[in-house]
Amino acid sequence: MEFQIKINNKQIRVQEGETLLSALRRNAFRIPTLCHMNRFSPSGACRLCVVEVEGKRDLITSCSHPVEQGMRVRTNSQRVIRARKSLVELLLSNHPDDCLYCQRNGHCELQWLAEEMNVKERRFFGKKNTWYPDYSSTSVARDPAKCVLCSRCVRICEEVQLVTAIDFISRGNQTRVNSAFNKGLNESSCIHCGQCIQVCPTAALLDISHVEKVQAALGKESQQVIFSISPSVVASVTDKLGFKSKAKAMDRIAAALNRCGASKVFDLGIAYDVNVLEDARILADRLAGNGNGNGNGALPLMSSCCPSWVKYVQSFRPGSLAHLSGAKSPQQIFGTLVKTVYAEQEGIARDSIFSVTVMPCVAEKYEASLEENTHKGVSEVDAVLTVREFFQLLRGSGLDIAQMEEEAPDGPYNTSSAAAWKAGYSGGKAEAVARELFRMLADPKKERFKFNLPKNISGRREIKVPIGGREIGFAWVSSIVEAEDYIMHLEEEKRDDIHYIEVMACLGGCVGGGGQPVNRGFENVKSRKRICVEMEKNALFKLPVDNPGIKPLYKGKRLLPDNPTALEWLGNRFMEK
Amino acid sequence: MDVGHILKKFPNRRREDLIPLLQRIQDENGFLSEEIIHTVGDYLNISINKIYGVATFYDNFRFGPLGKYHFRLCHGTACHVAGSTTLLKELEKLLQITSGETDKSGLFSLEVVSCIGACGLAPLIEVNEMYYTNLTPDALKDLVRLFREKENAVI
Repeated sequence: MEFQIKINNKQIRVQEGETLLSALRRNAFRIPTLCHMNRFSPSGACRLCVVEVEGKRDLITSCSHPVEQGMRVRTNSQRVIRARKSLVELLLSNHPDDCLYCQRNGHCELQWLAEEMNVKERRFFGKKNTWYPDYSSTSVARDPAKCVLCSRCVRICEEVQLVTAIDFISRGNQTRVNSAFNKGLNESSCIHCGQCIQVCPTAALLDISHVEKVQAALGKESQQVIFSISPSVVASVTDKLGFKSKAKAMDRIAAALNRCGASKVFDLGIAYDVNVLEDARILADRLAGNGNGNGNGALPLMSSCCPSWVKYVQSFRPGSLAHLSGAKSPQQIFGTLVKTVYAEQEGIARDSIFSVTVMPCVAEKYEASLEENTHKGVSEVDAVLTVREFFQLLRGSGLDIAQMEEEAPDGPYNTSSAAAWKAGYSGGKAEAVARELFRMLADPKKERFKFNLPKNISGRREIKVPIGGREIGFAWVSSIVEAEDYIMHLEEEKRDDIHYIEVMACLGGCVGGGGQPVNRGFENVKSRKRICVEMEKNALFKLPVDNPGIKPLYKGKRLLPDNPTALEWLGNRFMEK
Repeated sequence: MDVGHILKKFPNRRREDLIPLLQRIQDENGFLSEEIIHTVGDYLNISINKIYGVATFYDNFRFGPLGKYHFRLCHGTACHVAGSTTLLKELEKLLQITSGETDKSGLFSLEVVSCIGACGLAPLIEVNEMYYTNLTPDALKDLVRLFREKENAVI
């Protein structure tokens, strides 16, 4: 039912059952919040969204209050403004106040609020808590001193990723967010997805920075620094530049990095092509009932390109390990390509290569540090930059990507097919694998490939494709809660008509990854996906096998499964954790 | 410690069983160890980080063993007015521990509690369910010395 309520002398139409906050925001009333997250149940923890309602004695939190008929609301009365300002001042009274030394300086929600509320002097002097930062994890750093206890990270970790690696410890003025027994994140069940960094309003959660490592390597004459750029990063940069500008983001990234001192800039897209090919090959093998050294033939095959998902399976679902695809993740495939294949071809010593990947993901930092991804004790990938760190590196070198001329990335790894773009968003990789499987098994005279992806980020998550006279079921899920729900459903219903499940741990896939720029909301996840879809339409090569860079890799059976070195290059070993 | 027999009393494995379960375990074991929290987490399918968060929210749960002599210092209003803060400082000096801790020898542990309900006898302290009332710092010194001597005599 619709009715009208009055906000500051303006009548607005509202839906029965919606919260006051959603009605206000829809009508362009900007209400400050720290704890509110769209699509989550209200928590009412920060109380910044208070408004005054006529007839009610106290101020009410608009995020948790439903609209009522005949409501008369004031969003900017003296009382409301004063209350909000005091709240921000109280938060600041227990804050380190070191904005100039803070990684989130300039894009911190608390800083913005202090400015918006016109906080100009310190009114509350009190003893500040002394909490120490936690740099124990390979991917996510925590600084509880900067935490405002909004609970966004705790909720996303528990409700979306089902991991609960962190929770509120203790209570009252001693409350902080930490893992059990106040141990570091490295000893917790964290899957390194980085969604907590995405939702954190301040600098309480950050990436473990590799920027300085990269800068140090760039400064060394003896090191060849090779950058590899993931397609999702290109989508993100395109989004930042404005897609309509028609700028070739990849070429501008290459130009900027060349000016930074990179010896080569590669397009990581080719590794996505290899990953899709490998997944399709393993799927075909399992459909034929063969084990192939990469697994024991369990169906449905689950994708293993997302390191957070792999870690989740290792820690929480060891029973599903046999379902994981044996293919390495694109980053690690590319790591091997650079340090083994490329180094061999060019006659460069492995040690003199410093391989940097630029990824939309913080879990890749964890993945690169794993022992199974080293070669004779040396990491295949030396440093992983998130999109945030990538911009940091450029800013630190005085480079502005918007000002760059366009320079093509370097060969031999400068080509990718549409599949590489597809792998960036939820559902895309399933489609790419289906397409490749169709190419391998189907008779194009008899069958036509049909795979309709929904336009929205979430939505229908399975599809049946007739391939080679057989209905093959493909499914895709993003976020662990969707994955767990879906796999539980398959197990309960004892369904065997689904053969491939693509799992990405971040909502929307890599375009919504934990390493993407923060504070940009879900709208940007959608626009990055739109860019990926647009890019794949314009892609020169439609299928991974069309990519001219692929053929030399597979030539002479170098990467085929009967070659023992192929497993070392492409195969993954997953252990229970 | 084996907590299997306590777990059996909660066959439904519901989330809301967590606090009663932890209470029973603490009643028997005296405190919640890391191992116990892991066992309970596996049993109820709750993350250990969540359990630790819940347990630290309540003052009642402890994560280390109590001392042989467990001092519970009353910090209610009446005791506060009668000088329990001075007693706390004195006790911290005597035992070399702060509230919530157990000393290295395992002999003494200290806890500050809200009103025990004997305000007429303030300030007071409870040690192993014995009440010592109308205390002064000097009386406290004697009390601790008494416990120490008793322990030395046993050895």
